[in-house]
Amino acid sequence: MAHEVNRTESGNAEHHGHGAGRYFIVWILLLIFTALTVYTGHYHPSIVLALVIATTKAALVVLFFMHMTEAPGANRLVFSVSILFMLVMMTGVFGDLLTRNPMTLPGGPTPPSEFQAP
Amino acid sequence: MSQPSQLSTEHADKPVIPAVNYLNADRGVWSWLTTIDHKRIGVMYLVSVLIAFLLGGIFAMALRLELLTPGPTIMGANTYNRMFTLHGVVMIFLFMIPAIPGVFGNFMLPLMLGAKDVAFPKLNLLSLYLYWTGATLALAGMIMGGTDTGWTLYAPYSTTTPTTVFPIVLGIFILGFSSILTGLNFIVTIHTLRAPGMGWMRLQLFVWAIYATSIIQVLATPVIGLTVMLVGIEKVGHFGFFDPSRGGDPVLFQHFFWFYSHPAVYIMVLPAMGVISDAIAAFSRKNVFGYKMIAYSSLGIAFVGFFAWGHHMFVSGQSSLDNGAFAAISMLVGVFTAIKVFNWVATLYKGSIAVKTPFIYICGFLFFVVFGGMTGIAVATVSLDVHWHDTYFVIAHFHFIMVGAVIMAFLIALHYWFPKMFGRMYNEGWGMIAAALIVFGFNATFIPQFLLGNAGMPRRYYIYPDRYQALNVASTAGASLLAFGFLIILIYLIYALVRGPIAGDNPWGSRGYEWMTTSPPPKHNFETTPIITQDSHSYQEPGEEVEHVVI
Amino acid sequence: MSSSEGGLTKPHLAHHFETIEKQDYAVRLGMWLFLGTEVLLFAGLFLAYTVYRHFYHEAFHEASRHLDLWAGTTNTVVLITSSLTVALAYHAIKQNKVKQCAGLLIFTIICALAFLGIKAIEYHHKFQEGALPGAFYHYAEVTAPGANLYYTVYFLSTGLHALHVIVGMSILIWILARVLKGEFSATHYVPVELGGLYWHLVDLVWIFLFPLLYLI
Repeated sequence: MAHEVNRTESGNAEHHGHGAGRYFIVWILLLIFTALTVYTGHYHPSIVLALVIATTKAALVVLFFMHMTEAPGANRLVFSVSILFMLVMMTGVFGDLLTRNPMTLPGGPTPPSEFQAP
Repeated sequence: MSQPSQLSTEHADKPVIPAVNYLNADRGVWSWLTTIDHKRIGVMYLVSVLIAFLLGGIFAMALRLELLTPGPTIMGANTYNRMFTLHGVVMIFLFMIPAIPGVFGNFMLPLMLGAKDVAFPKLNLLSLYLYWTGATLALAGMIMGGTDTGWTLYAPYSTTTPTTVFPIVLGIFILGFSSILTGLNFIVTIHTLRAPGMGWMRLQLFVWAIYATSIIQVLATPVIGLTVMLVGIEKVGHFGFFDPSRGGDPVLFQHFFWFYSHPAVYIMVLPAMGVISDAIAAFSRKNVFGYKMIAYSSLGIAFVGFFAWGHHMFVSGQSSLDNGAFAAISMLVGVFTAIKVFNWVATLYKGSIAVKTPFIYICGFLFFVVFGGMTGIAVATVSLDVHWHDTYFVIAHFHFIMVGAVIMAFLIALHYWFPKMFGRMYNEGWGMIAAALIVFGFNATFIPQFLLGNAGMPRRYYIYPDRYQALNVASTAGASLLAFGFLIILIYLIYALVRGPIAGDNPWGSRGYEWMTTSPPPKHNFETTPIITQDSHSYQEPGEEVEHVVI
Repeated sequence: MSSSEGGLTKPHLAHHFETIEKQDYAVRLGMWLFLGTEVLLFAGLFLAYTVYRHFYHEAFHEASRHLDLWAGTTNTVVLITSSLTVALAYHAIKQNKVKQCAGLLIFTIICALAFLGIKAIEYHHKFQEGALPGAFYHYAEVTAPGANLYYTVYFLSTGLHALHVIVGMSILIWILARVLKGEFSATHYVPVELGGLYWHLVDLVWIFLFPLLYLI
């Protein structure tokens, strides 16, 4: 679906002849991926696979429903940086949890009767 | 409006205050409460944060009085715990975070951009209302008895203490929203409301600083919002999120908390550095040395600040790997700060120095930011922090930056921009006296605390061994001088407001864009949108000598 | 707030913006910044989920089997469809099809209500079973250590998400009211776009919550 992209002063590209069809295509894809994730979640549960599928779905929503493909650079930067900082937070915390002394890690709730005071 | 205005001292006629300006354009309390004028909102923020500062200062004096003797002096132990908690909460959330952006960011940003207002004026007013609401809730919590967790609200104590936590965390949550909306507003303003001719590299350095601050405000504050929300919910609902007896991890709380609270200190310090950049240029009448480096280092601090939070957690049980990583990253902040300090000093070199009250504070600032920054690098070193963590050394370090750097900068902004905001000049004599008291008092208050911390005195301790008393007494004496200095400032500024001499449009001869309109400015800032044809802070053409002028 | 000329409406230009285009750019940037804050808000909860999942792997795995998969899947389909309809509503108003826009917005709002309804039923089941957060947990079927934390994370994340669904729905109702009043047209539609953007964020969060809570 080739079409000219003119950037207006508001930064968004004008759509020449881009119809509603692409939204329906994205919708169908999202439903397919949902079915896929339900299926694999049941038969091949894997957090990595689930996250890959979820990220694909999210990318479809962000790029096409939210028009990120046509958004000005500032908006893309804002969203990307938010995701980046979320990943920084997760990396820092996970780096800590995976490399800590095992005695400091959370265990299950300790039943009061089993807790022995020194 | 493309020519900078001449020095008012060059005028033959007397300076006047414009008959109609933003202060009197609309009359009545209701016109103030429903205003969307960023200048009025800035003034209302000023009054609010000064009240908060007074309150936080009273708590501080109470603490210092209690610490005059090794045993109990004027209050019980539980009261002492509440005092330092409230001192922290009020000073950080009600003063330090909102002050320079809320007051001077609001007032000056559109003027510096050649704009008529911020991007979303009504949202700006909402930010102010949210500030008042959050502050009121936090104060209500204090009146209901307050909490004794420390401003850091560490779980699981904060979620199980019988003291009043909920109104305070709700207040902090709402204050967070105010901060987010202000930051959002400023980012959009800087992107979209620059006057024609004002490219990014012509922005004033205060604007760059506010931009970097706003990025932090927008991205970091939601995390503290979530964190205090979790504390509130857990206190009320006992969900066990951070409670080890229910399987939770208390160190996870610290990660959540410091992920915001470390960038938060850059929300406090970056605007201060922006003020310094502008003021140094004005009081040395010289083009800023290394404009681009200062601008980019602001962004650098904002960015790196997000990666360094674990240096508050070196002894919490955090892994050695993370300890090392966070320590190394924290050093980078020192690099960016040093870049700024060198450029500031290079700007002052061979400048036409005007030794006015703001300049005294600039000197104080430079000393305090270097000292505070270096001790920051010291406590960011894991092997040293193991001894200094939770002692007065850390307290002295962050007060050097928060009071020594940020509050000095706030005072510089207040004095430098007082004539712009109100059209009148304060009394220089009293300004100098207060400045001397404050700089001296500050040193007397906090240098003993470095020594106390290094000698082993822990923070948040109500009583202490006799051998620490001498330094504690010295610190309290210094604090009294500091308080006295602030009081003097309050008095002469109020006096200047009513009976000060009229300052004229640009008494400092500054080349900041905000000085290109009248003092006080008209309601809509500019009659016609200015066209910007020269760089910011531009006092000389390239190669031209510095003009030595007495102002 | 707008003037009508031959079916086309004009947006109101605020006094401090030079052109409508600049104003549109500004409000879009503002909304994306706000969406950035929402990402960071939910980030904390996703982090908590990942952390506790790592330590209580068995409990999390088992507990997610006890969630109502069909309710979750239906809700996912409902939200995805509502995202489609809100995008179509924006598309419609840009082509001056006011009635179509209104209809699509109504459908979106109905989807939101359906989502909340299904969530309410799910929560009700949980209360009956005793699958409650923290101290209140007494669900006999999942007793592995850390199960109570699973439900804590579940209620906190879906609760916060549901709150955002309510907020998003309210925004869309407000936009719908203005559409019905004839305020928007092919020359004035940015508020519809912004309302849609917020709604898409709500969908985005659920796209991640669904597999993490219900499937693995």
